[in-house]
Amino acid sequence: MRWRYGAGILASLAAWAGATSVADVTPQQVIADATRKVVKLYGAGGLRGLEGYQTGILITPDGQILTASSTVLDADEIDCVLDDGRRYAARLVGIDPRRELALLQIDATDLSAFVIEHNPALATPGTRVIALSNMFGVAAGDERVTAQRGVVAAVVPLEARRGAAEAPFQGAVYVLDCTTNNPGSPGGALIDSRGRLLGILGKELRSTAAGVWLNYAIPTNELGPARAGIASGTVVPSDDTTRPFDLRLLGALLVPDMLERTPPFVESVEPGSPADHAGLASDDLVIAVGSASVTTRTAVERAAGRLAPGDPVRLTVIRAGRLIDLELGPRPAGATP
Amino acid sequence: MSINACGAGALVLGIASFLVEPAAAINEPTLAEERAFQAAVSRVESAVVRIEPLALSVLTAAGEIRPGQGPSTGFVIAAGRVLTTEFAIPADVEDAIVVLADGGRRAGRVRGRDRSRGLVLLAVDDLPSVQPLEAAPRADLEPGQWAIAVGRGWSASQASVAVGIVSATERAWGKAVQTDAAVSPLNYGGPLVDIAGRVIGVLAPLPADTAGMNDGTELYDAGIGFAVPLEDVLAVLPRLEQGESLAPGILGIGYLGRDAINGEPTIASVQPGSPAAGAGLEPGDRLIAINGRPVARIADARHAITPRYAGDRVTMEVERAPADAGKARKLPFEATLVEKLPPWRRAFLGLVDAVGPAPRGGGIAIGWILPGGPADQAGLRADDILTTIQLRADSATPLAGPEALAGLLAGLSPGERVRLAFQRDSQESTADVVTGMPPAEVPTEGLPAPTGGGDPLAGPLDAAKLVRLEAAEVAEPTLGVIPRGAEPVGVLIWLSAPHGIVAETEALQWKAAAVRHGVAVVLPGSSAPAAWSRSDIPTVERSLAALKGRRPVDPARIGVAGSGAGAAFAWLVAERLGPAASGVALVGSGLPRLSTVTEATPNRDWWVLLGPGSDDTNRLRIETDRLQLRAAGYTVGLLPAEAAAAGPPTDLLCRWVSLLGLL
Repeated sequence: MRWRYGAGILASLAAWAGATSVADVTPQQVIADATRKVVKLYGAGGLRGLEGYQTGILITPDGQILTASSTVLDADEIDCVLDDGRRYAARLVGIDPRRELALLQIDATDLSAFVIEHNPALATPGTRVIALSNMFGVAAGDERVTAQRGVVAAVVPLEARRGAAEAPFQGAVYVLDCTTNNPGSPGGALIDSRGRLLGILGKELRSTAAGVWLNYAIPTNELGPARAGIASGTVVPSDDTTRPFDLRLLGALLVPDMLERTPPFVESVEPGSPADHAGLASDDLVIAVGSASVTTRTAVERAAGRLAPGDPVRLTVIRAGRLIDLELGPRPAGATP
Repeated sequence: MSINACGAGALVLGIASFLVEPAAAINEPTLAEERAFQAAVSRVESAVVRIEPLALSVLTAAGEIRPGQGPSTGFVIAAGRVLTTEFAIPADVEDAIVVLADGGRRAGRVRGRDRSRGLVLLAVDDLPSVQPLEAAPRADLEPGQWAIAVGRGWSASQASVAVGIVSATERAWGKAVQTDAAVSPLNYGGPLVDIAGRVIGVLAPLPADTAGMNDGTELYDAGIGFAVPLEDVLAVLPRLEQGESLAPGILGIGYLGRDAINGEPTIASVQPGSPAAGAGLEPGDRLIAINGRPVARIADARHAITPRYAGDRVTMEVERAPADAGKARKLPFEATLVEKLPPWRRAFLGLVDAVGPAPRGGGIAIGWILPGGPADQAGLRADDILTTIQLRADSATPLAGPEALAGLLAGLSPGERVRLAFQRDSQESTADVVTGMPPAEVPTEGLPAPTGGGDPLAGPLDAAKLVRLEAAEVAEPTLGVIPRGAEPVGVLIWLSAPHGIVAETEALQWKAAAVRHGVAVVLPGSSAPAAWSRSDIPTVERSLAALKGRRPVDPARIGVAGSGAGAAFAWLVAERLGPAASGVALVGSGLPRLSTVTEATPNRDWWVLLGPGSDDTNRLRIETDRLQLRAAGYTVGLLPAEAAAAGPPTDLLCRWVSLLGLL
């Protein structure tokens, strides 16, 4: 009881500070204010060690909640517990399969909520951040969710996988230098030192390139479109706009894809083909397609597939320890010879 | 009531102080620090480059792709020179792609290597000139100061930033500074800078020879990262520039006891032909100072020697007990460390010490004599008590226990003559023994009595019990078969073809053999239903620790064995256990593909059993492995055809474990 009284004062102080000057707020006030906009979600789980809880953020005063779409939401009843311990049944409005976000609704009003339409430029590496989530489900009832401090480590396109599957979202995300990749964290809030929402914590993923676990958040500028898409029932197409094409169309045959990570060596070059004219030779090792680095045959196909018909096909190859840039001409319209 | 009033009062006071405190001043440090992080990064980021591997992926022995076979980081340390790590450019790789901030790619060639610290100097053409880096003086470093890790593994065009503090200034035996900034394969090779943008060191995985780690990459995301101080790198930069490959320096001694933290630095073995042998160090000498710094524990001695390179000179002071009962003398020694010791071969006597308590008057009670072995030929018998060993004409060394004898033998070569004094029926006598090579195959005749008093024929199925080795963080307890009576027990870790949890019926197969040979059998299951993975190794280690918590274990008799895919996994487990294992048996198999064999040393000396091969190709591979292991100094035997029959060769393997302590 006493605590809640204190929190109220803190919150009103924070609101007052926000109205006058954002620089007047302490980190403690920022966290106190932002935690009120973060909810604990409980749903399905328990199977195969999957946790049955996660985190969500309030995005309107009348009870709209954004969270990560996950098996936790596969429940008849999703429990939503606010920071003051009030408990609501949450209804699933819809999901955005590309961003792996879900919109929930609870019947409540006059809530404190993040403003997701406020759309700042992407934060840069080194920006101080605070992650708020119910990691490991350690907060219950009216306990505040966990606050972690860190910085934005990098802002990079998401290239990641969960098990064998590629993550469907491939837009820019914040990579964090604190460990937010924990059970219960997905759907949590990422805020800056002033308490502004920077993004929503993502699901468990591993980096495709490096194999390491990713601690990341989907930036705020993706949240408005996600909500709008879900609310209007629009199905958002996947980011995967690759139209695969085989370099054989340009006369370059790569070594057969025998291993999981076959190095992209050139097996042979068809005489008189565009690849031949460009100077490509057998045993060249392809290390980049355009600006994208490639270390496997599959990566070459993916990178080449992102080119639109007519785009110049540029390869960087390594030959006898030297790097050579080659232009094979425009991408043909077809997929295979 | 009064408590509530107090609480309310405190709250009011709290709010009051809150209101009078100028809020802007409270918040200023947060923003100032954020600006300082970014300013520090901006001082070095132009020097930081991305390193991309050539497309030759490295598979581990278990067939997994190592994390981080992807982009990593380096930084420009001199004109046309980039420093990075052996993680990005392993020992067998000579080229790498360097990607600059503007996206330009350059070919990099290895110029020099520091194999002690896992660093690589690359020569790179057409590198743009960058702001020179300033080193943070190592002497000024303090735990708690800001430490910022900069990399380009995530993105070539934008430097990544991770912020933490210096956690410790001397780690990995003095080779590294420790930080809690997030360090991963993506920023290995990048600079760790202080708040002023001065370079503390280069981020690198923990060197492999510490903390029992595989290669240090296990620690990413763990709040532990390491950086090799830039000052130390600059000290050897001219040598790297000359194309040298710097190796860790080796002295060639083994210590009595395996506990580095508490153990006294008493020398147990001096390897023949080593710098230590050349300097005149002897088993029994106790190190008291190295390079002028006092040492009191094994860890101190490691701290003084491990950071040094081959070619470095070390001075040592030791305390040596005299042959008579006089006062110990302090003696100075000096040695030049080497990269590689001459091949080491274990010399042995052909005896096993008796299981059970040590003889009352000291010495070593013989439990069993290998028929036809050196001790047998010299006329020694079971129940004789060895009291001293005479290595030279002028002095005899008392034998405190089997470990001391093993250390002394490690300093001998096969074929040397030693005089052993012994007691038989209270009579003093001596025997001259010519040391030999240990048997490669498991002897089948005249086996040692298994247990301290138990009669194996009295009902073998009741003489052992099936236990669950509960351990922290292990969901499914490992089954163990522990024979009654025998103390301390030898241990066999059996890793079958992976099939998930091990059933009790499988464990029961081991009971008779466990009792007959006085060996406890540990039967870990795989976490995945059909594959062993690297993450199962800690489970095996914890199960072994849990067994040690229940029964005294003979540290000289721990063997790891496996069949099918379990054989490859057994090799990985043995590599992790290192000196804690005495033998590895790969039933029906050879070495896992792409495994590297390091030379045997007195500290890491396994009795390896291989085969039998199933067909000609397989047999040829196993024979190649056998020769390779033998050349590296291991005792290697081939398993008989019966070992490949259905079901594990329980009797053979338990017999082998009981003989692992062969001296």
